Amino acid sequence: MTDTIATDPKRSELEELLPFYANGRISAADKARIETALAADPELAQRLDIIRDDMAETTLLNESLGAPSPRVLDRLMAGMDAEPRQLGLLATAKGGFVSGGFLAWLGNLLAAQPPRRLAYAGAAACALIAIQGLALTSFALRETTGYETASAPSLSSERYVLLSFASDARAGDIASFFKRFDASVVDGPRANGFFKVRVGDASLTQAQVDAIAARMKSEAAIVRFVAPAP
Amino acid sequence: MHTESDEELVKRIASADRLAMKVLFSRHQTRVYRFALRLLRDETMAEDVTGDVFMDLWRQADRFEARSSVTTWLLTIARNKSYSALRKRRDAALDDDFAESIEDDADDPEIVLQKQDKGLAIRACLNQLSREHREVIDLVYYHEGSVEEVAKIVGIPENTVKTRLFHARKKLGELLKTAGIDRGWP
Repeated sequence: MTDTIATDPKRSELEELLPFYANGRISAADKARIETALAADPELAQRLDIIRDDMAETTLLNESLGAPSPRVLDRLMAGMDAEPRQLGLLATAKGGFVSGGFLAWLGNLLAAQPPRRLAYAGAAACALIAIQGLALTSFALRETTGYETASAPSLSSERYVLLSFASDARAGDIASFFKRFDASVVDGPRANGFFKVRVGDASLTQAQVDAIAARMKSEAAIVRFVAPAP
Repeated sequence: MHTESDEELVKRIASADRLAMKVLFSRHQTRVYRFALRLLRDETMAEDVTGDVFMDLWRQADRFEARSSVTTWLLTIARNKSYSALRKRRDAALDDDFAESIEDDADDPEIVLQKQDKGLAIRACLNQLSREHREVIDLVYYHEGSVEEVAKIVGIPENTVKTRLFHARKKLGELLKTAGIDRGWP
């Protein structure tokens, strides 16, 4: 099959930006250009679907890698003990961290970053998840380590799925979806609007988690992608 | 509840605040570890790299002149240390492409396809990509990097990021096609 995008420099340039449109790390001007092109170019839209599928699977693959063992922190702490920092350098360094110059600059830089947009989870979902996220952050900070983030795999006794919402899913439908499945968000939105969702505890077998994911997938009006997650 | 930003924590680390170091470590250790593990394919080496990255942060925080986010800086160090570890392993007279030759635990894509799971097949093919292609795919798809951030982490021009990612995506599609999944491109 002839790749008609590859032979058209204008479409090809937009095509190469699609992954960054999909992960939300693109300028407003490029985003607008791509959305205009997508509306009129089914082939480009198909490429975006492929990218979103690959993005979901890349996320699942990375999530399956687990976390480093406690020995890393132990080693680090031992290393810090053996190599105490020299205090005072920073306090006197002009233009260094404490001068505020760098931090102000860094803060501005971070603020100028394009927001992690949800390419196909609606704003309604964002609001809902934000509320859940606050609760989870509080929960995570109460963990014994004190600092574990909600995204760290600290609750291995739980069962999860990774999912993203349909672009036109409404807040009420999403809330009802969570209630129906007795599910809750433990992390997200991740790249491109993926959420890690708790669907039950360790008593669920893998087959049961697969079945829950399949039932969720059948709700295509609300869910775009769902798969069992580690 | 106020959660300290990365830059606030780095400021405290620059003042030799061990508690801030623990918080930043807890926040980023998994991301750094997974990035290193995908490059190295060796859990022990990935853990060593993770520890070394944060040790560098401890040593250099007060001299750190970031032109990017803390995450980008950590991943840049993680990448440099991972490749350095790979070179050392090579120097130890092991095969030049030792890591690449290690069989992945995942099923072969064709076997996976026989199990009728397209998602698993994609993941198996992701594992078959070259290190260079895996790296750029992970940075954009999993670590949510922008063109500028990936260019900084990998140390290549921004246009090269886009073309390298394009070729990685294309290669992934070709691997899937070989495994029996034709998505219409390439």
